[in-house]
Amino acid sequence: MEMKKNITKARRRFGATIVAGVAFACMASTAMAAEFKKEDWVLVASVINTTNPYMISNIEGAKAMSKKLGIPLEIVNSNNSSQTEISSILAVLASGKKPIMFVNTVASSDAPTIVDAVGKAGGFVTIWWNKPADYHPADVGDHFVAFQKHPGVSSGRCGAKAIGDALGGKGGVVMLPGVQDSTTSQTRVAGFAAEIKENYPNIKVLDSRPSNWDPQLGAKNARDLIVKFGSDINGVWAADDGMQIGAMQAFENAGLLDKVKFASDGLYPTTLEDIKSGRGGNAIVGETFHRGYMASSVGLYTAYLAASGKMKPSEQTLDKRESLFKLSCLTPANYKEYLKYDEADAPAKFIDQLEKTGPWAAEPMPLVGGGAEEMPK
Amino acid sequence: MQFILPKEWKGPAALIVSMAMLAVVFTFLNPRFGSLENFRNILFQVAVPLIIIVGTTLIIQLGSIDLSVQGIMGAAGMAWILLSANTRLETDYGLWAWVVAIGIGLALGLLAGALHALIKVPSFVVTLGTWYIGLGIGIILYGDAMLPSLKSNVLMAWPTKLSFGLPNAFWLAVVILAAGILLSRYTHFGRSVLAIGNSETIASNTGMPVNTIKMIAFTLAGGLSAIAGILATMQLGSGSPDLGSGQLFTVIPAAVIGGTALSGGEGGIMRSAVGVFLLIMLNNGLVLAGVNPSYQSGVFGAILIAAIVAVARPDRGILKIAK
Repeated sequence: MEMKKNITKARRRFGATIVAGVAFACMASTAMAAEFKKEDWVLVASVINTTNPYMISNIEGAKAMSKKLGIPLEIVNSNNSSQTEISSILAVLASGKKPIMFVNTVASSDAPTIVDAVGKAGGFVTIWWNKPADYHPADVGDHFVAFQKHPGVSSGRCGAKAIGDALGGKGGVVMLPGVQDSTTSQTRVAGFAAEIKENYPNIKVLDSRPSNWDPQLGAKNARDLIVKFGSDINGVWAADDGMQIGAMQAFENAGLLDKVKFASDGLYPTTLEDIKSGRGGNAIVGETFHRGYMASSVGLYTAYLAASGKMKPSEQTLDKRESLFKLSCLTPANYKEYLKYDEADAPAKFIDQLEKTGPWAAEPMPLVGGGAEEMPK
Repeated sequence: MQFILPKEWKGPAALIVSMAMLAVVFTFLNPRFGSLENFRNILFQVAVPLIIIVGTTLIIQLGSIDLSVQGIMGAAGMAWILLSANTRLETDYGLWAWVVAIGIGLALGLLAGALHALIKVPSFVVTLGTWYIGLGIGIILYGDAMLPSLKSNVLMAWPTKLSFGLPNAFWLAVVILAAGILLSRYTHFGRSVLAIGNSETIASNTGMPVNTIKMIAFTLAGGLSAIAGILATMQLGSGSPDLGSGQLFTVIPAAVIGGTALSGGEGGIMRSAVGVFLLIMLNNGLVLAGVNPSYQSGVFGAILIAAIVAVARPDRGILKIAK
């Protein structure tokens, strides 16, 4: 009897400790939230360059987020160089304010150095697109809030479906991957190849020429491939629109634009114009829809939630630390549904939505998965 | 052959022989390599570097170096497309677009030449500066608006259009190349460039206006990079500040491969032009031969070294020091 009483007492004490602990944690988190003073913080958006339409859109999203949160913004232009990226970020961190940061990394290997520096400066960072495969936010700490991207495999599959269907499941295609060792390019290429192999057995991949995301190189390789395969080329897939723009020009110069179908990723403004105008007899048959402003505002908002104490990264599930966001397949038939996301006030509207839904459920890019991206076999 | 040809032709002739051998191998691997279509394709691709290399060779002959090529191409290309009929702006200044774009190139070239000649800043440093100034101008002009594309189909089609069976882009390069060769071989200016490259002290002691000649050479090189930028923009149909990306490492190696020594005072425009052909043909051949992209860079390097060693062997005096 006595023993039972003691156990009950112990249980009560234990319970009380937990309650007290939880209460303390809540108070602490409230205190943290209360402590969040905007003037101590700065939003930082680091982009690879300022000429690629995707990066320009990244900046647009960051500006809209800065306006919404009332926190000043610093833009870091990496000028396509990891060295410039890291040194510029370190310079911003030295300013004394704590950073809430979005980084579109130049190379995967830049991520640890940046995350480490942000941690030391008392800030929070979300990395987009590139990080080393074995470097996980959950292992690093709360200051590495999340790693986020759109699945490259889905992008490749979108393009393959569009070209496969447009060609009636039969013909020859050439591929223009991006920088050969980039994960983004590799996953897109794997998705394209897998979709063709699984569902379009009569489509033959004639050749694949990495074109470094460069329109000029895309055009040059396309010219060489035209000479090599001539009218055997029925479709061209490029890992991004920059290279597709170059390739289309090469086919147009060769008088072949209306005989070949194109699909790619990114839906640059020029590409959208080409779809609208039906350039080359509706030469473009498939694209993916995702916008730079969406990536930067989701990234910054996730980091902001962590910085303001409204969300504790270590308490989140894995898919919220290493996130894959939905990528939509866009075709000439459905492109009109997406035009609203390109209107001038679209970034502000998207951010209003983020505030309501949180970073993981906003349309058109809700969370669809997590962890490392699975490569098709 | 070495006995038949005059001495000055030995270098280029040997290079041409090695190119012909490569062409035979590539045609054997893929008969389409030797087709008229591919011949035109290669001529289309050599046009831009051929224009640049006229300036590059003059500067290297002086014993200097010009790194600003890609920056000037970006600045001039962006200025030209924004002043021509394009999808971004409702402007079309016609010929003035050419004047402004080439003017930017000439101005940046003159700036580099003046700083190098008058204030004695090494050309490597000063042209690195003008490279970035050019790139900066290109980026500012690009701004954050839509990628500008050419509206005029005539302009877009001009470089590929055939005249006398060959693409216009190539003819433009031929005209500039011919002018460059005439300037270099048959004018006082051309001979002075070589003299300065050989020994600036002697040249200056003989009363040669060394500084003026240097400034003219850099200005010309800037103008030519600008023309190359305009042609590249036309070829692509769209403007981009990074338009010249990779050109510097085509033209400088091409000049050296052709026998223009980086120490100055040697070589010629024709030889450099042959170097350009070799590099472009090699790249094109590897794609047509279907070399796996993962091996392409390695194979490119290996064939290049083999070709140059074979070509330069008889040319190289045993006692000559190579740097």
